[in-house]
Amino acid sequence: MTTAVEELEQTPVRHGLLRYAATKAGGALLSIAMVIVATFFLFRLLPGDPVRALAQGRNMTPEQLDLERARLGLDKSIPEQFLHFVGQTLRFDLGVSYEYKRPVLDLIGERIGSTLLLTGTALVVAVSLGLWQGARAGWKPGSKFDKVSTAISLVLWSVPTFWLGLLLLMVFAAGIGPIPGIFPTRGSSSVDKPDGFAGVLDVAQHMVLPCLTLVAVVYAQYLLVMRSSVIDEVGQDYITTARAKGLRDDDIRRKHAVPNALLPTVTLVFMRIGFVVGGAVTVEAIFSWPGLGQLFYEAIRVPDFTLMQGTFLLITVSVILMNTLADVVYHLLDPRVRSA
Amino acid sequence: MRKLLAVLAALCVLAAVPGTAMAADPAPKKVIKIGVTQAVDSMNPFLAVRLVTGSIQRMIYGFLTVPDSKTLQPSPDLAESWTTSPDGLTWTFKIRQAKWSDGQPITADDAAWTFNKMMTDDAAKTGNGPAVENFASVTANGQELTIKLKAPQASMLDNPVPIMPKHVWEKVKDIGKYDAEVYPTVGSGPYVAVEHKKDQFVRLEANPDYWRGRPKIDELQIIFYDNPAASIVGLKKGDIDLIGRLNPSDFESLKGDDNIVQWNTQGRRATYLQVNHGATTSDNKPIGDGHPALKDPKVRTALHYAIDKQKLVDEVQGGLAKPADGSIIPPLYKDFFWEASGAEKITFDLAKANKILDDAGYKKGADGVRTMPDGSRKLQFRFSIHTDAPVEDKLAEYLTGWFKEVGITLTTKRLDSSKFTEETGTTALFDIAISGWSVNPDPEEVLGTHLCSRRPTASGDGGGTESFYCDPTYESLYLEQQKELDRGKRAETIKKMEERLYTDAPVIALYYPNDLEGYRKDRIAGITPIPEDKGLLYGGSGYWPFYTLEAVSKDGASADGGGSSTGVIAGIAAGVVVLALAGFFVLRRRSGAADERE
Amino acid sequence: MSNVTWVRRRRAIGRFWADFRTHRAGVAGLVILAVAVVLALLAPLFIDSSVTNVVSGTGAKMAPPSLDDPLGTDESGRSVLLMIWWGSRTSLLIGFLAALLSMVIGTVLGIAAGHFRGWIGAVILRVTDWFLVLPSLVTALVLAAILGGSTATIIVAIGVTSWPSTARLIRAQTLAVEARPYIERSLALGAGHWHITTRHVLPNVAPLLLASTTLEVASAIVTESTLAFLGVSANKTSWGTMLRGSYDWGAATAGAWWYILVPGLCIVTVVMAFTLCGRALETVLNPRLRTRAHA
Repeated sequence: MTTAVEELEQTPVRHGLLRYAATKAGGALLSIAMVIVATFFLFRLLPGDPVRALAQGRNMTPEQLDLERARLGLDKSIPEQFLHFVGQTLRFDLGVSYEYKRPVLDLIGERIGSTLLLTGTALVVAVSLGLWQGARAGWKPGSKFDKVSTAISLVLWSVPTFWLGLLLLMVFAAGIGPIPGIFPTRGSSSVDKPDGFAGVLDVAQHMVLPCLTLVAVVYAQYLLVMRSSVIDEVGQDYITTARAKGLRDDDIRRKHAVPNALLPTVTLVFMRIGFVVGGAVTVEAIFSWPGLGQLFYEAIRVPDFTLMQGTFLLITVSVILMNTLADVVYHLLDPRVRSA
Repeated sequence: MRKLLAVLAALCVLAAVPGTAMAADPAPKKVIKIGVTQAVDSMNPFLAVRLVTGSIQRMIYGFLTVPDSKTLQPSPDLAESWTTSPDGLTWTFKIRQAKWSDGQPITADDAAWTFNKMMTDDAAKTGNGPAVENFASVTANGQELTIKLKAPQASMLDNPVPIMPKHVWEKVKDIGKYDAEVYPTVGSGPYVAVEHKKDQFVRLEANPDYWRGRPKIDELQIIFYDNPAASIVGLKKGDIDLIGRLNPSDFESLKGDDNIVQWNTQGRRATYLQVNHGATTSDNKPIGDGHPALKDPKVRTALHYAIDKQKLVDEVQGGLAKPADGSIIPPLYKDFFWEASGAEKITFDLAKANKILDDAGYKKGADGVRTMPDGSRKLQFRFSIHTDAPVEDKLAEYLTGWFKEVGITLTTKRLDSSKFTEETGTTALFDIAISGWSVNPDPEEVLGTHLCSRRPTASGDGGGTESFYCDPTYESLYLEQQKELDRGKRAETIKKMEERLYTDAPVIALYYPNDLEGYRKDRIAGITPIPEDKGLLYGGSGYWPFYTLEAVSKDGASADGGGSSTGVIAGIAAGVVVLALAGFFVLRRRSGAADERE
Repeated sequence: MSNVTWVRRRRAIGRFWADFRTHRAGVAGLVILAVAVVLALLAPLFIDSSVTNVVSGTGAKMAPPSLDDPLGTDESGRSVLLMIWWGSRTSLLIGFLAALLSMVIGTVLGIAAGHFRGWIGAVILRVTDWFLVLPSLVTALVLAAILGGSTATIIVAIGVTSWPSTARLIRAQTLAVEARPYIERSLALGAGHWHITTRHVLPNVAPLLLASTTLEVASAIVTESTLAFLGVSANKTSWGTMLRGSYDWGAATAGAWWYILVPGLCIVTVVMAFTLCGRALETVLNPRLRTRAHA
């Protein structure tokens, strides 16, 4: 129910938000420009002849090599090459993979869905679990719950992702002793994946172990951040006031402390989204998950520098966009920032 | 957030409803699952270069000829018979009356189109370009295919190019950008590809119209693992039925499983050392920074004496290889294999190695390291290997130990693959490097890697040499075998080439690694290797093993059914956990809302 | 330095230690760390790099723990215990040096961003935020892949991708310090940028820097092992390369649990120790930051 008065009040806020969003978008564009420039020079650091590095010693005649140089624009001066590269990138042309002989963008397009499914699910689970547990732990620091939560998250934080993944694979996919290996050893679905619900279940079953690994590692961070945010809130005057007013403890926590603590935490979650992406590279390699992380790992292993460059660009740019979005949403949600 | 959780909860409720409608086929399909640790690079045979893709191509497409399953000699495939002109320059193939999997007849025109495409379109050369390099023209007349060559070529009958259906492929505009992801594929091999999920699997179905007759199984699945350890688990669990190209430790870990057959036979690969014996470019100018002592054949021979190949096999390959007393062609290829004997044979003998070096004037210094006869340099060599290759690391440690005994210092230099290829194949910035080659039934390709013409050009572009070798004797023998169409006589010439490589030692063969595979005998009732006598399964030449696959027949309650029912259970369990979590949050939220209303 | 300052500093350290001692987890972490570092430093007195030599391995291959080899052997018959001991040197060295590099970059840029208002500060802040957002593991992988694997490359790859959080922290701290009245007094007395930053700001941010660096070492060790696992390694025995070896040689399928568990547990223990230590330091030095998540 929106009254006229409220609408009146909201108008300047919207203007403010728009301006804020525009500033943020400008910042994001600048960041993306920096990524493009940095990528160009980073991949010019490659020792030796880039064409030969790209061709990986495959037999090529001098004519073929020259052709390849011309195709990549390497026969031109560095400034010209740079303009060429920027032009291509702005047209979403990420080049053609040497290993797969296909446009890098197509290769990415085929795999991005799997990655979004895996990281998205892991993020939802990790955020919900981490924030809930962190809020409870932070509300009563020093309690048994807090001690156990903090201990668990510190251990998980110290565990290398790949090691945890391998252990989970060996225990729950291979089966050890009385534990049956009920989870599959690879991939995102069975070859003869049934349709309908059974198909959804099939994917869910394939996702359990990779998702668990990814959750375990990122959830620890969220827990710790949320915990400290709540501890900060607990020390605030308004909580004391609320308590003095005789509000129920649970209510204060749920309606005041947690929402206020949530905002900085969620921003941090998005700031650290690159961390999840890094985790996805290892997790996908271990569980043969057919996503972007595996593609990137393949590019590193071959090495296929065009593919590496393309996936690197895409990953960083999407992380930047995600951050900007989170910033704007944060601004939209946070009453303190809005009124300021 | 609340909405999201609600949606999640709803999803989980739906998912938790027992999915009893699991497909139960009336007649169970006979399916065999092959695990591979390499993903398919391209389904377009003109572009694909990976081994796994080559294996799949062999199952989908026909070739002019294929190696015979017993002798590995060329035998008819799509070409029923062939004749050669007296000068060896004109080959005429009679193409079999058979049908593509879409019912169209196979004609010589298909083959001619395939070869002409490769000869005229650079983009189509990526996959098998060198195979048509020597072709002057290819023409078709009904079922008769005529290939005119620029120079005689005995290896014509080992042509690696799959014959493509012209009526399907001529519509492709830009072959270099075509991904060929159209299913079912139109082919002429025992199987038809029906599905490909990127980085996951390729599904092949039996081709009912295959000219040799339909394969005995219904479906073949090629399943990709990014994690080799997981693939071994997969085999033990029965997620896959066969896996090839195992390393010794994975092979050993299959021991003791009653359902698994450990397949250990001679392989098609040779592992050797490449010695920088004075690298030159194709116009005979010195290149690189090889140690001058290695130009002396006596030093190379002394090195050869200082290598305990049996020890390497035992320690580096876990005993699963054969020490090499020959050269670059492994004993699998009986017709072409050559082995040193008598006085020529070099066996591990440190005293002899020391004597050779002493006699040649390489004196040991106070530190036990020898110097050049003119005293200019110490005998300190670099050994180039790949990073992240534990086998090569071990090899290096052993060589270093033995060479130290004969007064030679060896230091290990680890290089990533592109740098390694550049330094050991183009710029010659090495002394000794690890090397090896997987040999085809016709050894011409590997023999060609030691020709003068394969050395890099003066401008520094690689030609594909594996040794920078340039030897008149070897060169004339190569030309001789190339022209010789009599298999027996050609084999004699090839053996002389191997002998030359053995005694002159631009390369020193170490061992021939075994072919290690594993398969489940509770799934696979029969599989015929190639060659039939102690041959290879996956990774062999030709589709034979996979054409002859027989599945264990089983009734409705198969292990597969069991697998998917545990799958359902696990899926439900996972769903329930997520559901419980989501429900918990929703409930807490609700109670919060209820509080508010109070 | 005058006698008075000296006494004041010593008292501060005494107070700090008394405070730190109350954090039992922090002390436990410190003890583990001290033991690990001392062991790593003393290793050359007892063993040398020959324990990592594949040829000199005396035990059976992949032998389970026994009296001869208390933690079993690897695929070449080398003692896992001795390799862990020797490998700790590489792991800790990379951890410390990468954290040091990250600290130096972070401190210089952080102080500069806080001290120089105006466009210089704005630009540095922008760059810092940009680096902060970059997926660090992915960037480190690309860097290491391009530069080739060596100890120096790995250190650079980790250091260059992990400094931004330090820089942000130091910047905030610098702003707080420079808001204090005595800085204004100094400025009035004609102190230059160099004097202000090195004499006033740096000593004040140093304690926090210590805490932040300790946490940085923890994540650098984990990153090193991850890079090694993904095939970009320093070519020296470290805990990460040992895990990679156990993976390459199929230790899991061969049932050689000691080969997989021991290096992993070492990483977890040492990283935990650094983390506990770092968190305790943070709490002692800056109660407001008591529970800041590291990384």
